[in-house]
Amino acid sequence: MEYEKLLDVVTEAGALLLRSGAEIYRVEESIMRICEAYGAGPGDVFAIPSCIYVTLTRPQGAPLTRVKRILDRETNLDCVDRTNDVCRRICREKPPLDEAQRLLQEVKARPDYSAAVKLAVSPMTGFFFCLFYGGGLSDAVWAGLCSVALRLLLWGLERLRVNSFFCNLLGGALSGGVAMAAVSLGLAQNADTIIIGVLMNLVPGIVITTFMRDMMAGDVVAGLIRFCESLLVATAIALGVGAALMVPRLLFGV
Amino acid sequence: MEYLQCLYAFLAGIPFCVFFRVRGSSIFWMSLGGAIGWFFYLFSAPVGNDILQFFIGTLALALYAEIMARVRRAPATGYLHVALFPLVPGGGIYYTMEYCIAGDMDRFLETGMHTLSTAGALALGILVVSTLARIFTLLAGEGGERMR
Repeated sequence: MEYEKLLDVVTEAGALLLRSGAEIYRVEESIMRICEAYGAGPGDVFAIPSCIYVTLTRPQGAPLTRVKRILDRETNLDCVDRTNDVCRRICREKPPLDEAQRLLQEVKARPDYSAAVKLAVSPMTGFFFCLFYGGGLSDAVWAGLCSVALRLLLWGLERLRVNSFFCNLLGGALSGGVAMAAVSLGLAQNADTIIIGVLMNLVPGIVITTFMRDMMAGDVVAGLIRFCESLLVATAIALGVGAALMVPRLLFGV
Repeated sequence: MEYLQCLYAFLAGIPFCVFFRVRGSSIFWMSLGGAIGWFFYLFSAPVGNDILQFFIGTLALALYAEIMARVRRAPATGYLHVALFPLVPGGGIYYTMEYCIAGDMDRFLETGMHTLSTAGALALGILVVSTLARIFTLLAGEGGERMR
């Protein structure tokens, strides 16, 4: 029984799940189940959104611990789905550990949609959420255009490795600016619905709901981290939008 | 007319599925969850309390997610994640911070509490359903191989 290799497999599986936006309990449970399947005891696992700690107790010799830092997180539901499949398969069939590792590598190599496809669907977010929140048709068109601009801006900022606080701030400023411009030029009616429709792209609401879920599920530390995250996201967005609404007022006295 | 919002919720879910790399027919089923959640939110309007409405909407949505997870043998995570978009307090959290920056403390606290209660109602709805689903699966004798 190669405990080192097993530890590699479980941390890799856990990291894939956590990085792609799986719930904390799912990450911890998957790791414990794989350990149990290979007869390595339940193992001790602790996961928070940015880190996983796993300790295996060997029958003889010192316990083995591995810390896996999660630096980049991106919601990838395909990856959650596949990794979950692979974990269940590993538990059921108990393949050799090299095979298990290969299965996980396969999940990693799955294709993403091309940038063109993502850009092509991006106006739908703003357009339909603007209508959803009660905006008119002209508002929705502007929200759609603004969503495309926001997506391009976020890509650019990602390339420049700007941190997420400034991404959200500039994203908020962009949507606030476009909405104000459209409304003051008489091309749209409700700046509010445009702004909120576009801001759904930055998912402030999802973050705050996830924090509540973690808290209630008993993962209090993870919940606290997500709570701070959601506050930061909201503050950045509000600062951005606030600046976009304030600057024209100062410049033109509107 | 109000129920047209369900259609918008459905259509708005599709691009998010693409952003989250969902492939194939799951795109349809995941987006449909949002429409179902919002339909039950609107449907329960007679209770006259929007936090309770959010709770009922989430119960329906989470039940749908758990059923789909078992039918399609995929984790419920995706179904919940996409379907929650129409219900989450995106506007609430934005207004809260806007009032905070504007220095309007009364409205900041009021909107903030309302936003937190909404998020709490959503989280509670999901947890109630997932806990019941877990108990149900255990009682059904599949303790070893849970579908979730």
